[in-house]
Amino acid sequence: MDPRLLLDLAVGGAALGGWFAAYGAVRLATRPADPTPAPATMELGAEPPALVSLLVNRWTVTEDAAESTLLDLAARGFVELRQPGDDPRQTTLHLPPVPPDDSALRPYERRVLDRVRGLAVDGVLPLTALTFRDPARAKSWNKRLRAQVVADARAAGLSRRRFGPTVTTALSAAALLAGVVVGLAAAHYGSWRGTEDNPGLAAGVFTFAVLSAIAGATPGERDTPLGRQLAARWLGVRAWLRGHEQFDELPPAAVAIWDRYLAYGAAVGATRLTSAVLDLGMGDRSLVWSSYGGTWHRVRVRYPRGSRYGKTMPKLLFSAAISGAVGGFALKLFGPSADLFSTGSYPGARTFALVAAGIVAGAVLLLASGGYTLVRGLADLLTERTVTGEVLWVQVWKSTSQGENQPARPWLHYLAVDDGSGDRTTAWGLPSQWAGDCHDGDTVTLRVRPWTRRVVGFAVVGHGRSRSLAEATVPETTGVAAARAGAPSVTPQALFPPEEVGQAVGLPVRPAEAVDLPGPLTGVQFRAAGDGAAVLAVQTVAGTAGQWIWRLNARGQELPGVGDGAYLAGERAVLRVGDRVVLLTLLGVARGRAAYLPWLLAQAAARAAGRDEAVS
Amino acid sequence: MGRGVTLSIAAGLLCLLAVVVIGGALVAYNRLVRRRNQVLASWAQIDVQLKRRYDLVPNLVETVRGYASHERATLDAVAAARSTAIAAAGTPGAADRADAENVLTHALGRLFALAEAYPELKANQNFAALQGELARTEDKIAYARQFYNSAVQTFNTSVQTIPTNLIAGIAGFRPMDFFQAVDGERAAVQVRY
Repeated sequence: MDPRLLLDLAVGGAALGGWFAAYGAVRLATRPADPTPAPATMELGAEPPALVSLLVNRWTVTEDAAESTLLDLAARGFVELRQPGDDPRQTTLHLPPVPPDDSALRPYERRVLDRVRGLAVDGVLPLTALTFRDPARAKSWNKRLRAQVVADARAAGLSRRRFGPTVTTALSAAALLAGVVVGLAAAHYGSWRGTEDNPGLAAGVFTFAVLSAIAGATPGERDTPLGRQLAARWLGVRAWLRGHEQFDELPPAAVAIWDRYLAYGAAVGATRLTSAVLDLGMGDRSLVWSSYGGTWHRVRVRYPRGSRYGKTMPKLLFSAAISGAVGGFALKLFGPSADLFSTGSYPGARTFALVAAGIVAGAVLLLASGGYTLVRGLADLLTERTVTGEVLWVQVWKSTSQGENQPARPWLHYLAVDDGSGDRTTAWGLPSQWAGDCHDGDTVTLRVRPWTRRVVGFAVVGHGRSRSLAEATVPETTGVAAARAGAPSVTPQALFPPEEVGQAVGLPVRPAEAVDLPGPLTGVQFRAAGDGAAVLAVQTVAGTAGQWIWRLNARGQELPGVGDGAYLAGERAVLRVGDRVVLLTLLGVARGRAAYLPWLLAQAAARAAGRDEAVS
Repeated sequence: MGRGVTLSIAAGLLCLLAVVVIGGALVAYNRLVRRRNQVLASWAQIDVQLKRRYDLVPNLVETVRGYASHERATLDAVAAARSTAIAAAGTPGAADRADAENVLTHALGRLFALAEAYPELKANQNFAALQGELARTEDKIAYARQFYNSAVQTFNTSVQTIPTNLIAGIAGFRPMDFFQAVDGERAAVQVRY
C-alpha cells in the first residue's frame, strides 16, 4: 500500500477516533447516577408515580410510567378497576358517572385518562383494550408521554438534559476540528492521486455534519442533586414493597385496597403481575377487542397469505393466462417424450423419459391451476358482496419492490373488520389509497370479493372514538405513515389570532396574509394595521423537513412546558407540537418584543394540542 | 470388587442426599427468618404510626377542652384510651395491642362527632390541622396494618405448610397473630331514623 494513503487514512482515522473517544468520555462522565437506596420505608412522597418511575430507573422513562399513572388515576377515583373472576386479564375499566375535578391533572395524567375516556363504550373498557393498533400511533403517543414526564421532572428540578448546551457546543467544535482534519487528509489524497474533483471539501463537510448531528442528538436525561436525593428515598420504598412478597402477586383491581401503594409499586417495579397485565403498547393483531354492536368482545383475526389474495381481476386473469400458457407450452414440448415405460435405445433414454413425465405432470398442474384461477376469479367477480363493520386493524400487506432511486411503496393493506357475525374474521386486502381514510374503531362499508379477499369499494360510515385520539404520526421515508400523515391540519392563521399577535408585538395588526414559500413550508405574515409594515413572520412545516428545521433552530433559551418543545433565540422562536414545527420571526418595529414570544407560543401550543384531540 | 463399588455408590448417593436435605433445610430456615423479619419490620411501621397518633391526642384534647370543657366524659374517655394504648404498646401480642388501638380509634371518632356541635371549634385552625393530621395518620395506620397482615400471612403459610413446617417446628417458629378489627367494627352499620 502506498505510504501516502496510509498517512491519509491514519490522520483521518485518528481525527474520527479522537472525536468518538471524546464523545464516549462525555457520555461516561454524564451517565445518570446510581443512588444508594435509603433504608426501607413505607412513607410515600409527593412525587407522582411517573416521576418516581423516572427516578428509580436511572432517569429513563419506561413503560411503567404510563401503567403506574393509570393505577394512580384509579386510586384517585378517576377510573375504577373491576375484576369479575380469577383472571386479572378480564379486568375492566369503569368511568365514574360523576368524575372528580380533573383541572389539576398533569399533562401525562390527562393523556392517559383521555385515552381511557376516548376508548370507553358506555363508560366501560376492557383493560387489555388499551393497547394500540398502529405502531406509528403507539410510538407517537408514548413519545409524547415520555416528553411530558421529562418536562415535569425538569420543571421540578429532578432531572436535566444529559448533554447541556456547553457540552453540545464543545462536541460540535470538536466535530468541526475533526471535519477539518478529515477534509485535509482527503484533500491530500486527492492531490497526490490527481483526481479531477478534490474530495477534501465534501469529506470535511460530510464528517462535520454527521458528527455534529450525533452531538446534537440528546442521549436522554441525567440526575440532579435533588433528583438523587429523592431517588434514594424512593428506592427505599421499593425495598419496602419488594420485601412484601404478596405485593408481587397483586392484580390491578387490588388498587381498591392498596390505593396509591399499588401505583407506586408499579412505578418502582414491585408489582410483577399488575405490570404484566397492564399494557399501553402495541396490541396483538391476531386477537383484537371490538365494540361493534355496543358490547366489548374479542375477535380472532386471520391474515391470509398467498399470491391470489388482494389481486385485481386483470392481474388474476393474467396469472391464469401465464399458468395456462406455460403449462400448455411445456405439455406440447415434453408431452410426446413423456413415457414412464419407455425403453429407449440410447443411454439415458429412460431417465429423460421420466424427467419429461415429471415436467408433463407439472405442466398439467399448471394448466389446471390456470383454469381453476380463471373459473374462481370469474365466480369471485359475480359473488361480490357488501360488508359493514368496525375496523379492527389496518396494516401494510404488500409493497412494491425497492428500486435504486425509489423506496418501496405499499399498494395493499390488511383491513380486519368485525361485522358482528362471529368471533373470528379474516382480513381483507384494502388498496393502499384508501388506507389513510380509516382508523381503528371506524365503522366502514366495504364492497368485497370473497375469494381474493379484495376490497373494491370502501366508505367510512361512522368515526370511532379513537379518531379523537388520532396522533400526528412521525413520518417515515417509506410505509403507511408517509401515506397517512399529511400537511399540518391546523393553519398558522388558526394558531395565531390577530388579537394575540397584536398584544405580543405591541400594536394592532391586520389578519395574516399567506406568503409563498418553497418546498413543504407554509407561511403567513402579520402587518401593522396602520402603515402595513411587516411585524411577524410565521412559518410552519411538518414531517421530515420539520425535524430538520427543528434541529437547526432548537437553540437559545429553552421554554419548558410549551408544546412538545420550544426555544427562544434573539428575535426568533421555534415551537414543536407533534410533528409540526412553527417558526416565528419578529420584523421591523416589533423587534425588541421577544419577551412576549413565549406567551404567544404557549397560546398557540395549547390551541394546537386542543385541536389535535378534538379531531374527529 | 463389585460389592465394594456398590457400597461406594450407595455411600455417595447417601452423601448427596444428605447434602440436598441439609441444603434444603438451610434454605427453608433462611426463608422463615427473612419472612419473620419482614413481619417484625411491618409491625415496627405500625408502631411508628401509632406513636405519632399518641403524640397528637393530647394537643387535640386540650384544643377541644377550650371550647367544650363540660364534655368531660368524652374527653376523659379519649385520655384513658390513649393511656391504655400506650400501656398495651409494651405487650408482645398483636391482638391485645389491636384491641387497645381500636378503643382509642372509637374514642377519637366520638370526639370528632362531638365537635360537629361546636361551630367555633370546627372553625379553629389548630383543630382543623390536628384533625387533618390525625386523618392522615389513620390512613397510614390502615396501610401499615395491611402490610403487616400481608407479611403475617406469608409467614404463617410458610410455618404451616409442608415441608417448611418441619424446620419451623424444630427451630421454634410459631404462627403470628393478625392485626384484626374487633367484632363491633365488623358488624353492619345500623341506621336509625
